Amino acid sequence: MTILTYIVLSPLLMAALLLLVPNTSQLRTRWGALLATLVSAILATIAFFKFDPAIAGYQFEQKIPWSSTLGISFHLGVDGLSLGLIWMGAIVSFAACCLSKDIVEREKEYYILLLLMTGGILGAFASLDLVSMYVLHELALVPTFIMIGVWGRGKDRNYAAYKITLYLSAGALLTLAGLIALYIQTGAKSFDLPEIMGFAVNHPISLPAQNYIFPLLLFGLGILVSLWPFHTWAPLGYAAAPTGTAMMHAGVIKKFGLFALLRIALPLMPDAAQLWMQILAWLCLGNILYCGLVALKQKNINLLLGNSSVAHMGIVFLGIASLNLIGVTGAVFVMIAHGLLAALSFGLSGYLYQQTKTLEIGRYGGLLRELPFLGTCMIMALFAGCGLPGFGNFVGELSVFFGAWKEHKVPVIIACWGALVIGSIYMLRAIRAIWHGPITKPDGVMCDAAGNRLPFVILLAALIWLGVCPNWLVRRIEPSLKTILQPFSNRSQAVTPMPIPPVAKR
Amino acid sequence: MAPLALIALFLPLASAVAIALFTRRNASVSAGISIGASLGAFLISALIFNQLRGATAPETLNPNWLSIGDFKVDFGVTLDALSQLMLLVVTGVGSAIHIYSWGYMRADRSVSRYFAGLSLFMFSMLGIVLARNFVQMFIFWELVGVSSYLLIGHWYERASAADAAKKAFITNRIGDFGFLLGILMVWAALGTINFSSIADIMKANPLALGALGTGTGLLIFCGCVGKSAQFPLHVWLPDAMEGPTPVSALIHAATMVAAGVYMLCRVFILFTPEALSVIAWIGGGTAILAALMAVQQNDIKRILAYSTLSQLGYMVMAVGLGGPATAMFHLTTHAFFKALLFLGAGSVIYALHHEQDIWKMGGLKSKMSVTFWTFLIATLALCGVPPFSGFFSKDEILALALGHNMPLFVIASIVAVLTTFYMFRLVIVAFINPAKSDPASHAHESPSVMTLPLVFLAVLTIAGGFIGIDKLYEVALGKTELGNHTVAMAAGLGAFAIGLIAAWTLYANATADSLTTRLGAMAHWMRDRFYFDECYEWLNRWTQELLATVADWFDRWIIAGAGVKGLSLAAELGGGLLRLMQTGNVQTYALLIALATALLFWRYIL
Repeated sequence: MTILTYIVLSPLLMAALLLLVPNTSQLRTRWGALLATLVSAILATIAFFKFDPAIAGYQFEQKIPWSSTLGISFHLGVDGLSLGLIWMGAIVSFAACCLSKDIVEREKEYYILLLLMTGGILGAFASLDLVSMYVLHELALVPTFIMIGVWGRGKDRNYAAYKITLYLSAGALLTLAGLIALYIQTGAKSFDLPEIMGFAVNHPISLPAQNYIFPLLLFGLGILVSLWPFHTWAPLGYAAAPTGTAMMHAGVIKKFGLFALLRIALPLMPDAAQLWMQILAWLCLGNILYCGLVALKQKNINLLLGNSSVAHMGIVFLGIASLNLIGVTGAVFVMIAHGLLAALSFGLSGYLYQQTKTLEIGRYGGLLRELPFLGTCMIMALFAGCGLPGFGNFVGELSVFFGAWKEHKVPVIIACWGALVIGSIYMLRAIRAIWHGPITKPDGVMCDAAGNRLPFVILLAALIWLGVCPNWLVRRIEPSLKTILQPFSNRSQAVTPMPIPPVAKR
Repeated sequence: MAPLALIALFLPLASAVAIALFTRRNASVSAGISIGASLGAFLISALIFNQLRGATAPETLNPNWLSIGDFKVDFGVTLDALSQLMLLVVTGVGSAIHIYSWGYMRADRSVSRYFAGLSLFMFSMLGIVLARNFVQMFIFWELVGVSSYLLIGHWYERASAADAAKKAFITNRIGDFGFLLGILMVWAALGTINFSSIADIMKANPLALGALGTGTGLLIFCGCVGKSAQFPLHVWLPDAMEGPTPVSALIHAATMVAAGVYMLCRVFILFTPEALSVIAWIGGGTAILAALMAVQQNDIKRILAYSTLSQLGYMVMAVGLGGPATAMFHLTTHAFFKALLFLGAGSVIYALHHEQDIWKMGGLKSKMSVTFWTFLIATLALCGVPPFSGFFSKDEILALALGHNMPLFVIASIVAVLTTFYMFRLVIVAFINPAKSDPASHAHESPSVMTLPLVFLAVLTIAGGFIGIDKLYEVALGKTELGNHTVAMAAGLGAFAIGLIAAWTLYANATADSLTTRLGAMAHWMRDRFYFDECYEWLNRWTQELLATVADWFDRWIIAGAGVKGLSLAAELGGGLLRLMQTGNVQTYALLIALATALLFWRYIL
């Protein structure tokens, strides 16, 4: 058993254990969940440091065969791509557990679902087998629907649960179709990713097959990541979700689509990828520009944060669309930084909601004096969201722009406008409305998170750490991405010398 | 030297972090830490200057900050004459203002937050000065914007201050948008972001940027337009006066707004002649526009703010006319006397219990003599009177314009007239005329923690022209070709005389501004800043906000509706179609079976 297996199994085993606890003793479920996620988080941090960047392949591998006729196994392992995501996911799940104190009804069920989510998504990131990857992701996804429906907030929660279920199931279904088609087309008779990769080196997937499988995966996974125009489930879902769920989904589970795109679709179908990335570079502007504009108009904190989170996904898509090392590394960096950021933002807004039962921006005003800690944290989170240096997001976004500039000039220009200008307008408007100005207090006791500051501090510290010492993460990501982008590195040299279109003055 | 410079850079950051984490509750300790950090940075800067004396230090230290493929960002320091002098200016003026703040802000509720902000600002500003590559500069560029935001919004409970902070940040962000694109273009064309490599490449091949050289230069210039508040992004600076007065002195007069000019000088080699001429005209335009606006302002800080805009216009114009050394010289002297003017204004505001309207002041000459005399020295320097430092730098700018661009020389001379006019309007009305309000007649001189920095800056203002600052800048940036000095000097002194006489005749013993009625509608335009804010408001409402409204509506009613309805409709339609087949009629089923059998038969057997 490697450290990785323990990271994944710790929450799952605890979930099973909690099932046995009788409903009467409520205290222990929360402590149990906290313990399991804390163990995962600590182990993930240890794994992060034990990971050797010099080795290009997978590390901490573990393989347990399951069905040899179909070529399915329980196969775990990490490389630079998944390492950071697992680390981030483990930290976020611990923070989400800490901030779920407001759940009092059916506490046991809630924590079991949260643990399933955690174990599922960490396992999905660690999986090297397509079947277990898919199944574990579903294990993380399905609790989202239940949690919104049962513990959600607001009058729209049933509609939101219905909508998010519909969308994400559709996305997962398309992905499943794509994966099965991939299994058939590769001819490797295996769902094991390293085996498929090895097989595909000498038996590349035929172009017609790539041309129909790639879009299946792109849009299937795209729906899971709220790719425009399939994004509307996200803000609504996060506005209705309980705090912990919003943190887990927006922060961690949503990244699965991007992860799988990089892990499976790009390396196996480079020809189709090359074509579709031209389209993706423009589609992502729907996220960055359009959803940024939508965010300008939101009057609810979570709808604003939700739209902004959708906009950030656009930047990741832009980075992936660049298909070069700088852009894709930037994209992975944004995925990790945004995971921390989204968790932090939704954690803070959830904390406000917990006390005041409202997230209408108009009901707040001038609260910084009253709630200096929460206010400072949220202002820093919003700053990070509009891409200010000092936070991880800046590094990722900058690398995405530098990487994508060569391939997609006009999209980068528009994306810069969206990220730098529109982003700062809605973020600063939110600060102005909630924290600055004359004081307006909604009803409810206002407490400055005394006694429950740890999750915020951890998330913020991680975000700042990534912003200050980016090499610490980049060093681990880069070698693996080099391998993943291998099929593209030769092509770009053959294709590049294209006259630069004059885009300077518009 | 480089490690020393890094210590100077990180000292203020350490102070900001220490205050934020540990000494929030203890105002004096926080102030002590912050002032200490600033003085420490000043001492180190002096040490560095004393060692190098304008010589360029070798780039030995190269800590790598980010490295992905061939995208490498180092975190080194540049130490040439340009950055050495700028270090001295920033830390010297900064230290004076730090000390002054301890007097000015003593009664404030959040002294610690204020000093943490000042320290953060010092860190960011020193970072810009020392930056060795574009990305490093951009990082600090943004951080300077943040600290400016935090300090303008220091009194965030006041709606006007909170709005001003937001406006400053967003306007700067628009400039940064262009700046970032410019950096991307430089990187794409030259393959490097390091200033020294860029200089080497451009020296070897001035056309290395290719056909887009002018565009690239102008995009880089966008950063300066935002940060140095040039037309058309000048609107944020007057509003930024909502911040505490020492902040206005440090950030919005002496240092941060000058960062744009500094950046232009740092990468001067990138600009094509066409780009330079655009830069020169933007600078000249800003100078005259702002001077006109200043003439009809009544708030003491706003007058100084427009004056800052106008002087920044001078500097940008000087860069555009091919005189980066001249621009830097004026930047330096301006930092001395404009900081002094703001601190003097702060002293007045402090004495009058936060009264800022000059028409409610008066008679301060005798009651606040230190403030008055230092303020007068700074005013004379700003108006370009010998032997004060402003005379030398302004004279150089006028001579530069005379030698290169006659229309801009005329504009610059008119600006000089207007400068003297609005500054003496301020001095006469606020200091010399009899007191016009109760607080003014009971005013007292400020405590010495505030007046001592005034005296220190006054000394610099007097001496600034004689200590060879201009020569040092010429070492770093090359000698500037100037026009006829005698003509330029005559123009400058003539402008001073005209402005002074006009101000004296209009405002000696005046109780109200008679110019307002004489100018009529024009006065309204000047006072209301030529309605730029209203225009931008209108433009934003009908473009971006309109788009946002449309997008929001579309999102809510079309995409959101279509997605859910589409999916559920597809399911229902599928169900409906399948239902049609379940007729319950045996004959139909028999027919279907027969048809299907025929089909299979036809497909596989025939």
